Parts: sequence; C-alpha cells; structure tokens
Amino acid sequence: MKPRFYLLILLLIVPVQASLFNPLSLAGVKPDLGLIAVYIIGLLTGPGEATLIGMALGVIQDIGSSGLLGLTGFTQGVVGLLAGMLGRRVLDIASPSNIIFLAVFSFIESVLIALFMQVHYGDVPFFSMVLTRMLPGALYTGMLGTLLLRIINNRSVLTALMRRGIQKEL
Amino acid sequence: MLGRINKHKKFFAILALFALLFWLLTIQVKNGRFSIIEKPVLAVSGFFERIITGVYDGAWSVWSGYVYLVGTRKENLQLQEEIERLRIENQLTNELLDENDRLREALNFKKQYRPAGIMVQVIGKEVSPSSSTVTINKGSNDGIEKDLAVITADGVVGRVQTVLPRTSKVILLTDPESTLAVRVQRNREEGLLEGKISLCALKYVSYYTDIQEGDLLVTSGLDDIYPKGIPVATVVKVTKNEASAFQNVVAKPAVTLSRLEEALVLKK
Repeated sequence: MKPRFYLLILLLIVPVQASLFNPLSLAGVKPDLGLIAVYIIGLLTGPGEATLIGMALGVIQDIGSSGLLGLTGFTQGVVGLLAGMLGRRVLDIASPSNIIFLAVFSFIESVLIALFMQVHYGDVPFFSMVLTRMLPGALYTGMLGTLLLRIINNRSVLTALMRRGIQKEL
Repeated sequence: MLGRINKHKKFFAILALFALLFWLLTIQVKNGRFSIIEKPVLAVSGFFERIITGVYDGAWSVWSGYVYLVGTRKENLQLQEEIERLRIENQLTNELLDENDRLREALNFKKQYRPAGIMVQVIGKEVSPSSSTVTINKGSNDGIEKDLAVITADGVVGRVQTVLPRTSKVILLTDPESTLAVRVQRNREEGLLEGKISLCALKYVSYYTDIQEGDLLVTSGLDDIYPKGIPVATVVKVTKNEASAFQNVVAKPAVTLSRLEEALVLKK
C-alpha cells in the first residue's frame, strides 16, 4: 500500500497545489503543499523515506516549472531529512511546535532557492522577496500544515495511515 | 571500510543523491536550464488540473448560478449597459483603425496586422521563488503554438513556453527566464525587461537616459513575439550609481498576475 500512497502523492501534489490552492492565495502568496506533505511524511516515517520523497516531489515540481532542474528537489530533500530527524528525536505530529518548525523550514527552503537564483540570474531582489513572499508564505505554510497535522492526529485518520504502512521506520 | 559503507548504505545513498542534485544545479548555472521529460510531466499534471478545475468551477457555478443570486438582476442591467457602451466604442475604434490603415497605405507605410486571439482559462498557477508559470486550458488542438504572446485587457501576461494537445504552459513576464523588448511610452527609449519574481527589471538603460517613476513601458515589437504598443509595466523605482554605466530600473507588471483567471493568446 505504501508505494501506491506515495505514487498518489507524487501525482497529485503538483496539480492540487497549482489549481485547487489558487482560491487560497492571499496577495499572490500560497501555502506550499509539497513542503507540508514532505514534513508530515518525515514526522511519520523517518529521515530516509522523507528525503527520497522530498527529492522526488521537488524534481517533479522543477520539471513542471521553469526553474532550475533539481533545485526544489534538493531543498525538499533537505526538508525531508530534517523533518525525519526531528520526528525521530524531538517532535510528534501532535506537538504545537510544528507550526514554528514548518514555518522555519519553509523560510529556509525559500532562502536556499533565492540564493541559487542569485548565483544563476544575479541581482534578485532578495529583501523585497523576504518581506513580500518568503515570510508570509512561511507563516501561511506553517498554519495550514499545523491544521492538516491536527486532522491527521485524529485517531481514525492515524489508524488508517498506519494500516497502510505509513509509520515510523525503526 | 567496505563494512562501514555497507552498515551506512542508506546514508551514503542519500548523500550521493544530494551530491547528484547539487552537481546538476552547478551544471545548469554554467550552461542554462535543462528541460527533460517536461511534456509527460505537464501532460499528467495538466490532466489532473483540468479535472480539479472542472470540479471546482462546476461546484462554484452551481453556487453562483442557482443559489447565490442576490443582486443578479441589478448586475445584469449594469452589464447590458456596459456592453452597449463597449459596442459603440468598438465601432468607433474600428472606424479609426480603418482610417489608420488607409492613411498608412497612402503614406506607403508597412501595413500593421490586427492580431486574432484565442481566449484561454488559467487552470493552474505555479509561483515559487524560482519560477512563475501558469497552465492554460488550451493547447495545440486549439491552435496554440510555442512563443505566442499572452495578454489581457490590462497588458502583457507572458508567452507560451510548452504546448501539449489540450494544455499549455505560459511563462509569466515576472519569471527570471522571461525577457521582452520594451519602450518607454513617454519618450520612446528602448530597453530589455527581465522578470525578477514579483517585479521586473529594465536592463541596459544608459545612465543618461531620461526615465522616471510612473513611466509606462510598452512592447516595442522588436522581439517578434509581442505586437507593438501593448502596456507591459510601470516604472516604480529608478536608482543611479555613478560607478555603473546603466541605471537600475524596477517596474511593476501592468497586469495583476496573482489574480489572473482568463487571458488572450495572440495568434501570429
């Protein structure tokens, strides 16, 4: 069941983010569903799987966009690795600190991307991007991610996920 | 040594994948972006985007068409009035265009073509710190081709980048890969407008060029993609540095790209 679950995530995250999340956009800022999914997988499974899923999801996003191929793959992989390590040692899905970690990861991901962009294209308006996109996007992602974690933390959803093998690799 | 590698096989595999992605990035920084299996990925995501947008629009139209009808009659009357006004304006514009054609002909000027357009709906938006693209609901089956200009009534949106039979990807003018030839409407000075994620930058404007905040930039028609004279962006910031031969000019797109729902693809 697990590979099918991951395949579904890889197939659906990009179109859902691109189309269904449009009405959720506030002044052009949308939450990053891919990052939330990788973070949740990291907390539920561990660093190995989350890194691989993060990389795969990021590369798919890169292919569909006009950005550098592998850039989001790299950053989502880092997010998966960090979330997996946190999930193993520090956090669980019920922790209220998730909102902070999600927002920080989202911000770090945007900063990494902006730094690569600076190297590739030069004179990227970094501070304006921080204020108008990165910070609001990180907060939005943090809030939506925490809401989704609350839903997942519901006993029936968690049991269903565990039945499909989405649990910590120990 | 081998024993240690075997013990941490997973760790080394992940490290190798990170190294591979980083290597891929450094190559692209030098040689430009790779585009592999772009069409299959767009076909799959476009398919799901059409379904999701169809379901969402269907649900919304049931709500707005049958349930939420407060003020519809009043709005209908206002729209009818506006249609009448626009019809008259359209007739007057056509008259002026005909007159312009006749005068150009009389002066032996090259005849300007009137672009035909295909109305498209935005079914997906991908706006990240590294790119700004949208997916539209029409493709090669509807006559869409690569590098066609995409506009709205407010101005330029971008150009078609990838075409599939039923969907296409449009690169917005704020995308870092986007460049277009523009002209300052006030004094006809030329420049090259590059995307900078949420804003644009006008490049290669000489230190001595007269350019001011509030200036409207329009397409110059020199890039063979956009017809001449379409509004593109408004200058919002001009900074001069004595150490540089060029001015730093920042411009804001004329179209509010975050609220883009429909657009017109101009056929060549």
